[in-house]
Amino acid sequence: MIDSFALPLGEPSEAAKTKQASPARASSQPRRIMTVSELTSEIRGLLESSYSEILVDGEISNCRLWNTGHLYFTLKDDRSQLKVVMFRTTVRYLKFQPENGLRVIARGRISVYEPKGEYQIVCRHLEPYGIGTLQLAFEQLKEKLKKEGLFNDERKKPLPALPRKIGIVTSLDSAALRDIIKVLRRRYPNAHLLIRPARVQGVGAADDIAQAVTQISTVPGVDVIISGRGGGSMEDLWAFNEESVARAISASSVPIISAVGHETDFTIADFVADLRAATPSAAAELVITRKDEYHDRINRLSEQLRTRTLMQIHEYRTDIRELEQRPGLSGLPGRVAILRRQITELAHNLARGSRGIHAIVERRYHALELRLEGQNLRRTFSKLLTQLVSSEGKLHEAMQQVAMKRRATLVELSGRLESLSPLAVLARGYAVCWDAKRLSVLTNSNKITPGDSVRITLHRGELGCVVKDTK
Amino acid sequence: MTTKIKDFESAIKELETIVKKLETGDLSLEKSLEFFERGVSLSRFCHERLEEAERRIEVLDERGELKPAPDDLAFADEGHLDPENKR
Repeated sequence: MIDSFALPLGEPSEAAKTKQASPARASSQPRRIMTVSELTSEIRGLLESSYSEILVDGEISNCRLWNTGHLYFTLKDDRSQLKVVMFRTTVRYLKFQPENGLRVIARGRISVYEPKGEYQIVCRHLEPYGIGTLQLAFEQLKEKLKKEGLFNDERKKPLPALPRKIGIVTSLDSAALRDIIKVLRRRYPNAHLLIRPARVQGVGAADDIAQAVTQISTVPGVDVIISGRGGGSMEDLWAFNEESVARAISASSVPIISAVGHETDFTIADFVADLRAATPSAAAELVITRKDEYHDRINRLSEQLRTRTLMQIHEYRTDIRELEQRPGLSGLPGRVAILRRQITELAHNLARGSRGIHAIVERRYHALELRLEGQNLRRTFSKLLTQLVSSEGKLHEAMQQVAMKRRATLVELSGRLESLSPLAVLARGYAVCWDAKRLSVLTNSNKITPGDSVRITLHRGELGCVVKDTK
Repeated sequence: MTTKIKDFESAIKELETIVKKLETGDLSLEKSLEFFERGVSLSRFCHERLEEAERRIEVLDERGELKPAPDDLAFADEGHLDPENKR
């Protein structure tokens, strides 16, 4: 500032000449007196035609967004300032947020506001200086959402171990979608997939993606979502850096895996999502564990479960064997063995009906044995004893039945025998006459000649006789 | 133990816990048999759940309507099996 004032003082001769020259020239012509409006209008014409398309580099200050939607700020460098206005229609297309201190390049035209005699630049395009617009926008949104806590770990929802339906938001005819399907099918052949197609680049893509995410997250059964697209330029991937997408992702009650571009591409969606996958295929791998791995894991656990339980049963069985050795219980196996032998013997003698009982008792016995062998030791002895007692009871019953049957047969047989027995007749005074050798009973006298010996059986005792005559 | 099994995830976790408990070993016979029974039903549940999902691809449109995916998508995986799948 000092310099600019010092300049005319330092060289008075030049300045003086110019000053003197002007009135002289003016006096030689008719005086032209302009109104303020005329002058301003003329200036406006000059400025606006000369500076209809300019680029200005400066730092933003006094930045204010009015209620009307127009943006006003001042561009300055170390010596000058320039007023800038940006109308609502252009503000809408700004990717980044103009803020004080930011160095930008403004493109536009000079416009003079006649009522105030002020000139300003009407900015049609604004870009950050030395850094890409998108890059800046990215940084700004990232910073903003981070401050809101949208990237915080405690917001991240865990993925389900076994999703019922897997939601996918991406472009329907993309290689990314095919990759996802292929990987999912390989890992989990019967997975249920639900695709919500969305435009993933170009005008309106961000809103489409945001709407798709919101919509699919409310479909019943969808308990995880993959959202993303394949690789491309930063412009191609841009939709995933838009605030609307970030908001939709963070609002979803269903966990979302974000998979945009390649390994090296990071988007705002990645930061907001519950999980970031390097690529769409990687997302498919993260979303579900291989089915056979699950089967293996469960089988391993079941196997451990079985062996652990069996080992424990084995330990208890050892304990029981020790118990069995104790005097109070030592008779038990012996008693079982005796009962079993008896039952086997009986089985041979019994009629078909009682064989059934045998089978029942035998089965019970086996069941008991199995319990001793196998897993169901839990009611152990009390149960075993109850079973024993009941089978003992059954045995007794069976034996008694058999004994009764036999007794009845005996009584019947001896009744019949009784009726056939000659002894009964003898008791009534009859006698039996045998030949001398007592081989055959004599029924005809012509077989005997006088002088032969015969024997006679009486009810009690026997007589040896000699025949005197025959008739 | 007749507690309902919530979902696959909790089932597999419970199964792991049960195996761990059985490994410590100082359980009553009654208790460990209870665990065994529970463990068996848990693993059955898990196996069943793994088979439960229905192999299907659907497309959701803007109006919220569901329709089956076009054939070229539905069979995108078929025709060229990769090594990982050959088992």
